[in-house]
Amino acid sequence: MSERSRTSIGRIWRRGLIVWALLLAFLALSLFAAYAAPASWAAPINFGIAATQAVLVALLFMRLDRADTLVRLAAACGLFWLAILFALTLTDTLSRLANS
Amino acid sequence: MSAGGDLIEKTAERHRREPWDELGLAGERAFAYQRAGATFGIWIFIASEVLFFGALFLLYTAMRLEHAADFAIAARETNIVYGTLNTALLLTTGLCAAIASQASEQKGLQRLTLWCLGATVLLGLAFMAVKGVEYSEDIEKHLLPGAGFALKEPATQLFFGFYWLATSIHAIHLSIGIALVVRLIWKEWREPGFLFESPQVEVVMLYWGFVDMIWIVLYPMLYLDGRAG
Repeated sequence: MSERSRTSIGRIWRRGLIVWALLLAFLALSLFAAYAAPASWAAPINFGIAATQAVLVALLFMRLDRADTLVRLAAACGLFWLAILFALTLTDTLSRLANS
Repeated sequence: MSAGGDLIEKTAERHRREPWDELGLAGERAFAYQRAGATFGIWIFIASEVLFFGALFLLYTAMRLEHAADFAIAARETNIVYGTLNTALLLTTGLCAAIASQASEQKGLQRLTLWCLGATVLLGLAFMAVKGVEYSEDIEKHLLPGAGFALKEPATQLFFGFYWLATSIHAIHLSIGIALVVRLIWKEWREPGFLFESPQVEVVMLYWGFVDMIWIVLYPMLYLDGRAG
């Protein structure tokens, strides 16, 4: 194996392992928060942690950080339509719940 | 398993799909376009899958808003040890998949690519095995919605309806991912050097990353709710 291959293996592993350690630390944090945080805070904290983990995976494992604009746009489109789906449906659900 | 020099020199020629000559481009350039097209294509697919799972997550959100107390009672019944172990396993497969994808793009790292693909498959299978044990425990505890359901509160059945639906659809996605990675390993075995710069590695690894993300969101929904206090 050449010197160059060894250097690139080291670089690939180092970056990957840092992200992986962060993801596992967030997993431990969410497990702790589920038991230790006040009931009303647990859900926002845990979904916040899950969103952070998902962003880490998308950016650093799925390499959206170095992707073309077109690819980023495709990824953003999924979230955009998802936001519309949630916003319109929850407007209806929440207004019914508030008035019931 | 290492690629011969000839194989590496002819990467574009091996991976390029016909008919490329109609574009009137040089071989290398046509391959670069096709590679970008493959990445763009899988991201379009992932965006459509986001909406597919998004509809399921919306269903959960709407039901949980209405039956928060029952959902907390039901979520306490899921096995947090299996859930957490499976999350750690999937996060580790995400690491292996990302390493495999990056290693496949560099000369001389075929062995690393292959090892990481193998580790991805094994850890993916370990996830399925844990899920299987968990399912059998759930069935023993009468957590299948319907007659003889273990919990009294009516909306707990809605939670477990969602649990079975979401985890089984996720398991189907993961099985497809495992089959795709096994196919890549098989192709490399049949044609040494296949993995080097193959757009197929990146496409499969992006799909794997997406399946990972779905579980990351499912974990707090199914396992962490109702644990406080």
